[in-house]
Amino acid sequence: MTLYSRPQLRLLLAVAATLLVGLAVRDWRAGFPEHAAYLDRFDQEPDPPPLPSPARHRSSPPIRPTSKRDALPPRDAARPRHASPGDDGIQPAGAPAPEPLDLNRASFEEIARLPGVGRGLAERIVDERRRRGGFESRDDLRHVLGLGPKKRAALRDLVTVARPAGTEVSMSPATVSPEMPAVTEK
Amino acid sequence: MPWQVAPLLPLAVTFAGGLVAAAWLPGAPLALLPAAALSLTGAIAALALGRDGAAGLLLLAAVVVLGALRPGPSLVTAEHVARLPLPVSLTVEGEIAAEPVRWAPDRARLLLDAMAFQDGGERKPLMGRVQLTVYGESIALGPGQRIMAEVRLHRPVGFRNPGAFDYPAHLRREGILVVGSARGDRLEAITPDDPPWPIRVKRWAVDTISRQLPPAAAGLLAGLLLGERATMPRDADEAFRRAGVYHVLAVSGFNVALLASCVFLTLSLLGLPRRPTAVVAGGALVAFALVVGGHPSVLRATVMGLGLLLAVLLDREPQLLNGIALAALLLLAWRPVDLWDPGFQLSFGATMGIILLAPPVTSFLTGRGWSRWLAAPIAVSLGAQLAVTPIMLGHFNQLSLIGVLANLAVVPLAGVATALGLVALLASLISEVGAELFFNALWLLLLLLRGAVRIAASLPAAMVHLPAPMLPATAGWYAALALLPWSASSRPARRGAVALALLAGALSAWPWLRPEDGRLRITFLDVGQGDTTLIELPGRRRILVDAGAAGPYRFDVGEHVVAPFLWNRPAGRLDVVALSHSDPDHSGGLRAVMRGLGVGEFWENGYWYAGSEAALRAVERSGAIRRILARGQRLWVGDALVTVLHPAGPMESENDLSLVLRLDWRGVSVLLTGDLARHGEAAVLERAEPVRALLLKVAHHGSRFSTGAAFLEASRPAFAVISAGARNPFRHPAPETLDRLAASGARVYRTDRDGAVIVETDGVTLSVTRWARGTTERFELDPERAPEGTKRTAERTAAPGDRGP
Repeated sequence: MTLYSRPQLRLLLAVAATLLVGLAVRDWRAGFPEHAAYLDRFDQEPDPPPLPSPARHRSSPPIRPTSKRDALPPRDAARPRHASPGDDGIQPAGAPAPEPLDLNRASFEEIARLPGVGRGLAERIVDERRRRGGFESRDDLRHVLGLGPKKRAALRDLVTVARPAGTEVSMSPATVSPEMPAVTEK
Repeated sequence: MPWQVAPLLPLAVTFAGGLVAAAWLPGAPLALLPAAALSLTGAIAALALGRDGAAGLLLLAAVVVLGALRPGPSLVTAEHVARLPLPVSLTVEGEIAAEPVRWAPDRARLLLDAMAFQDGGERKPLMGRVQLTVYGESIALGPGQRIMAEVRLHRPVGFRNPGAFDYPAHLRREGILVVGSARGDRLEAITPDDPPWPIRVKRWAVDTISRQLPPAAAGLLAGLLLGERATMPRDADEAFRRAGVYHVLAVSGFNVALLASCVFLTLSLLGLPRRPTAVVAGGALVAFALVVGGHPSVLRATVMGLGLLLAVLLDREPQLLNGIALAALLLLAWRPVDLWDPGFQLSFGATMGIILLAPPVTSFLTGRGWSRWLAAPIAVSLGAQLAVTPIMLGHFNQLSLIGVLANLAVVPLAGVATALGLVALLASLISEVGAELFFNALWLLLLLLRGAVRIAASLPAAMVHLPAPMLPATAGWYAALALLPWSASSRPARRGAVALALLAGALSAWPWLRPEDGRLRITFLDVGQGDTTLIELPGRRRILVDAGAAGPYRFDVGEHVVAPFLWNRPAGRLDVVALSHSDPDHSGGLRAVMRGLGVGEFWENGYWYAGSEAALRAVERSGAIRRILARGQRLWVGDALVTVLHPAGPMESENDLSLVLRLDWRGVSVLLTGDLARHGEAAVLERAEPVRALLLKVAHHGSRFSTGAAFLEASRPAFAVISAGARNPFRHPAPETLDRLAASGARVYRTDRDGAVIVETDGVTLSVTRWARGTTERFELDPERAPEGTKRTAERTAAPGDRGP
């Protein structure tokens, strides 16, 4: 003769376990409010940084688009996709050294493809670039959340900030992209 | 044979058939009364003669006629609000008909049953239901309350585009002939906000949840438990749609079944006998339905749940098909218009799919050695998905490819979360501390749920957008599904099902396979106050110029008008999206367009200003090639040449920075001017660039500061299209502009009056369709391009629905 039947035991145990988990979560949330707040918003995009109102920017375009051609480079582009200089220092023979990526002109997709930079970090880099109107130097990357000293060192040879944004972007004819054979420029 | 065990099923089907017939064959419904009487008499006679089969058929015929009779004429009496000289501003007294929906912090939607209005100090009777949008803060409002409001009333206007959702017809079915707006501070309460108890319970539950949980989790739980969708964060809402698990947020059979089984299980574990438990569970179901409100899905599930409990009480074998048929009959007899409601169709479709398709699919899978624990959920998910696919495509152009799998993870999580949410709410009646613990455990569970949904939604091709299926394709699809239960045992049934499914697929694919007509088609969409132009070139090349309005608290035209219009066309992607300038009435809809469709190139003027942040982010993430255009550039799209006429450099105002594009194709030139104003026009004319055009998109919605006489003199359009919203606050188009256009000799088309304006040409002839009026004018293009440009051959080819003056 037991006190409770098996189904009753199951229900009671489930309730007790739930209460215990609730207790643990409550204390954790109280202890780490920032983490909890972050978790509660993990599936929501933060608001994009504000753009200037037209009144303040009459004479110069506030946003220079990142590049004339934001097309994705071909998959087999010369730049190795995962190698970083710290890996083992060995480049495949004959492969050209990777050309540094100009962060002021690179597209979101190009930045996201840098080693150690995912879409989330690339978003913050692009947002920071837009907020500052372009990076003056690589040191400006300090202000991007998630780009610590180690990651910046790893990226040092892969990125440049060749041309401060705000200077004229030349209107040279855009290249015909492989994706769009139909649209060509005359 | 299912109908032998479900005698109500043929009745429900024939009644619904009668309703559909009545909608298609409007006429004198009372003339049908003798027909009903005749078939009933016939049925009785056949019964007396011993011909039972004939009697049954005649009975069903009578039910069809009854269904056709049911909708009845809606009477618009002399006091009806629709008889007022609309549009009108006046003070109305009325009773609030439903809980107001606050869909943005300073916007609420209110249903008001009008009772009286003030006419020069005199109180006159008034009747009829009005839907009001209330702007700004207002007093607390609740159903049953009587209020006095200063309102502006007008007739509802939808977006009149090909294949678009007919909003006025939808409102008419809801019994709403007049809509309006009111300022929140101009509402006065006559009686206090004293709603009935179900509303109080719902408010208390929403309050408790939002007090105990952080905002995003609270919004999700309110959706799961109570079907409250106004509080759902937008990103989470979209993720649920993409993952194909949105049904857990609509209160449905899922919640009702869960509630019933929770109550049943708990009480029987507490040792209550079976029958009292069933009675209590039934009471809980009815109370729950009252609290969450009378959505068709809730009512269906409640009726079916009560049927199941009744079977328990009577010790009978529950008969699901009979239950669903009873639910359909009751709902349609009570509210026949629900038949057209997506919620009704999805709820009944999914349930029928589960009842009829899940058992054969399960036995098929277990026969292949699958575990029952995996086969049964997959079969349920697949059955529901197969049955609702045409409905989802027809209403929303959405087909979730991940849905069947995502449901395997999401439904159990959502089920546990719903049950725990109910427990937590009950606990908060007893002890705040205990409730807090439950809610904290729930928070973790909701995080897991959101994580699962997020993963499913972020897969590529989680959801595809396809045109709404044609009626024959839908019919073929359902016929194939109907054969599915038999196809395991019978070879002809299997072949028939495959053939019918292939037929449905081929019919749906036909628009893609059909040879093109080789014409240039330009559609100026009716997007209210804003601009959207779709240029379709031979070779299936498509250019979209601007995407309509949207904003934080505004209706997203991109999501609800532009993207569905594009999805309904048989072409997967846009070759080019061009943005004239970043004003929200041109760029707002870009977010939905760039996210919902593949885009090859994005053309812009390079200037982005406040208000277009979301659009810019969507463009940056879309992977489209971006081009900044400037004067002098020429681009070929297929065999059409696009010339950029403007801008060449900084201008004083952002409207003057608008991209001005001229498209030339087989001697037809089209000038698209964005919101170009006076200075911009002067800058365009300064250059010797030819601006002559056959068709002009009039700048800035017909503002009086645009489209000056000099510009018209230079461009000399034969056709001019103005894109403006009906009753827009800017009073566009301006009479001065209309006068100038009339003086120039251009034929003017306006989206505010004509709905979508569709221009089609093959280079020799040109036709213009005014969608809202259902008329098409045909013109012959003069090869010499004389100043008049055209010679009209036929005008106003009468089309069905022609109600133009």
